[in-house]
Amino acid sequence: MAQPTDKPKKGFSRRKFLARSGATIAGSLALLYFGRSNIRSGISQLAADVKFDAGITDFDPMLWFEVNEDNTITLRSPKIEMGQGVFTGFAMLAAEELDLPIDNIKVVHASTSTGPQSTAATGLSNSTASLYTPIREVAATLRETLKLAASKAWGVPISGIQTANGVLTAGSRRASYAEIAGQTQTWEIAKTPALRPASSFKIIGKAQKRIDLPEKIMGEAVYGIDTDIPGMLYGAVLYCPYVGGVLKTADTTLARTNPAVLSVVQDKNWIGVVAKTRFAAEKAIAGIKATWDFEPNYSTKDAIEAITVGNGVTVVMEDEGNATDALNSDVLTSEYRTPMGFHASMEPSIVVADVSGETVKLYTSTQNVAFIQQSIADQTHFKPENSQIMPAFLGGGFGRRAFKHNAIEAIKLSEAAGKPVHLLSTRQQEFQNGHVRPNTHHRLNGKVDAKGKIQAIQHEFATGSMAFLGMPVAKPLLGADFMAAGHGGRVPYAIPNKKTSIWSSDLPFQTGLWRGVGMFANTFAIESFIDELAIKAGADPLTFRMAHCGNTALLQRRKKLLQKLGEQGGWRKPKTDTIGRGIAVCEDHDTISGAIVELEIVEKKIKILRVVQAIDAGLLVNPDGVRQQVEGATMMAISASLYEEATIENSQFVQTNFHNYQVAKLKDTPQIDVLIRESTEMPSGVGEPPLSPVAPAIANALYNLTGIRLRSLPLQAALDSYYQETGS
Amino acid sequence: MMKINVTINDVASAFDVDPDMPLLWLIRDEAKLKGTKFGCGMAQCGACSAHVDGELVRTCSYPVHLAHEKKITTIEGLSANPNHLHPIQQAWLEVQVPQCGYCQSGFMMAAAHLLEENSNPTEEDIKNGITNICRCGTHPRIIKAILLAAKLKNNGTTN
Repeated sequence: MAQPTDKPKKGFSRRKFLARSGATIAGSLALLYFGRSNIRSGISQLAADVKFDAGITDFDPMLWFEVNEDNTITLRSPKIEMGQGVFTGFAMLAAEELDLPIDNIKVVHASTSTGPQSTAATGLSNSTASLYTPIREVAATLRETLKLAASKAWGVPISGIQTANGVLTAGSRRASYAEIAGQTQTWEIAKTPALRPASSFKIIGKAQKRIDLPEKIMGEAVYGIDTDIPGMLYGAVLYCPYVGGVLKTADTTLARTNPAVLSVVQDKNWIGVVAKTRFAAEKAIAGIKATWDFEPNYSTKDAIEAITVGNGVTVVMEDEGNATDALNSDVLTSEYRTPMGFHASMEPSIVVADVSGETVKLYTSTQNVAFIQQSIADQTHFKPENSQIMPAFLGGGFGRRAFKHNAIEAIKLSEAAGKPVHLLSTRQQEFQNGHVRPNTHHRLNGKVDAKGKIQAIQHEFATGSMAFLGMPVAKPLLGADFMAAGHGGRVPYAIPNKKTSIWSSDLPFQTGLWRGVGMFANTFAIESFIDELAIKAGADPLTFRMAHCGNTALLQRRKKLLQKLGEQGGWRKPKTDTIGRGIAVCEDHDTISGAIVELEIVEKKIKILRVVQAIDAGLLVNPDGVRQQVEGATMMAISASLYEEATIENSQFVQTNFHNYQVAKLKDTPQIDVLIRESTEMPSGVGEPPLSPVAPAIANALYNLTGIRLRSLPLQAALDSYYQETGS
Repeated sequence: MMKINVTINDVASAFDVDPDMPLLWLIRDEAKLKGTKFGCGMAQCGACSAHVDGELVRTCSYPVHLAHEKKITTIEGLSANPNHLHPIQQAWLEVQVPQCGYCQSGFMMAAAHLLEENSNPTEEDIKNGITNICRCGTHPRIIKAILLAAKLKNNGTTN
């Protein structure tokens, strides 16, 4: 391999990068040394404007790239490909500056020992947005570094060297990147050049077929579950099936005397076995008799009671004008609820641990390599320098793999067996022992004046936390998770008086990140309520929304997006009385996303006929990739809005598999049209924003059709209850 | 333990396994063909779909002894080779269906079987005929790709 040897000690352009990314969440957390409410509120308002950075500090091109003998270049990605298309987007960004056909770029996941590392999870729709400039910079630096090497080898000035199609030329001299890399012994890293202007882009912005699909359609792509290393055995673990329960007694006699079982490990709160096959390991687990200590009779009702506005710790997230005084008479009040939900990623949690003495190798599907490495250091004797994490393709992420993992169990099983151990969660464990999207409760008060203008709006909401699962120190400091679970809680319209408060209570089970974080629940409540206010004002819901877009750049983009959605999405097109039409919009980390939903009710079941999505996500790196994400977010949102609900009875999650956790299937697929508002703004996220307007647009369409205002998700269950209660 | 004779993707093999073990684990862990996935373990999601003697089977819930002396086709055997893709795979690429891709082997096996049974399916036939689960939301493209694959197959324009 033509791998350059002399690596520079320092990365390049680090300062430039940090300067651009501005304040970071880590930085704002460092400011916190006590948690009085005014400080929390101040931090909450500061956090609203924080741009998440990529959590990467090393931009040494030799760490990111490898020039291969066949003149391909390998890019080691610090972000995980979980279906969102980052490998393709990154390849496009690199190819643009490398002057290399995109087919010559291979993208692989960086392991902890081979490539750049990100201290931040892959998620929050920020991979492409945060690395749009850094990847081009590091690629341009590699190009200039290759030119510098050629200039020395040929004795010509660097200004006389051209690059095109992976070839360096100077007059009659000509060499491929691979040839120059192969003959260069000592590398001098070039200064980062000026980047090419967007007007000259040849690759970025053009629809590009995804580079990971050929192997995915052949069944050859390697996910965490596909790890197979010599000598590998299979583990299975018994976890507590009760929420908040702890292990009391365990009788493992059957497992220990089972000839198929090679090791049994009893830990504080789980029991694991290792066998030669998964089937044998699972059979052995079924023979373990365990008793558990838990709070009996805990049910969904208790979680709903805990998560109710007025309970727990509160933080004011937004306070403009004087909403309390303005809401003195003629106030419209509505309350909304969203349920707990599972991610139900198709690939359950998977870790293959290979312990050898004081070192461990870990093959896994994760959104957060750094977090796994740190938790291994915290919970085992393997220090970060002795653990190597090899991330694979994910069979879905959606936040499920941001924090909670089963690496510790796999490591302890491998240590006991003295062999690599493959540990895959069952679907039941994914549901009962993973983490759920917390349920939420929202109370909105609003007032519209005689001219149809919203004078004041107050949004109080209660939610479990999402981000605290990965940041135990943050909880006592911040009081409530206004960053993740509170995301989207502010009322994003120009209204003179508005106030938003979050309420946070502890739940006896783990709640965590879910696609879109708090934006999903908060947009359902706010955009349903805006619809209620529009109807109260006797206004058209689209016109009403546009009338409350003020003058900030973001609100102007919102207004233009709504205009496009209305005009091209058929908002004013005549329709029959059997069809309901609704609209909703959200803004999520600089992306504006809006949707029109058309539906009908067939034999008391909601049937979504058409969803028109409009998105403004700045410059699009791969327009077809963006369309794919918008369609996917729409389907996941339809699923969560109509059907999905995790419930607890007798201290256990009721749902154990897909037979009792309904998700959207092919039969639920409507016509989906994607409208893109072209823009030259910096790229912003696309994986999550289109998800959030769907639930309120469905609820608003149902109101439009039936006059019934459903204020809780999932909407099909809410409609069923309505029919039952009214006997209709 | 029982000796199981199976022909997987035209290769005849014998495995000494627990007869009650799901066929999925034989395919993945014994035959080392990893394209067939585990999703639910109770025939709900279809990620493990393969063809057994031409029938569509959810292998996570199909005891391996039932496959004895039978012919199995997995995603790795759907096409003769990468230069001669099955119309389903051709359409999947053309339409750019997969996102994470994990459930897609199962969907492609179900779709290939659907086309065997019904060479000219309507959109409704597809929506009602395939009950697999995808969480990334590739549903609209799956439907589009199956309609395209039917055309490719019927016109004989596969490569």
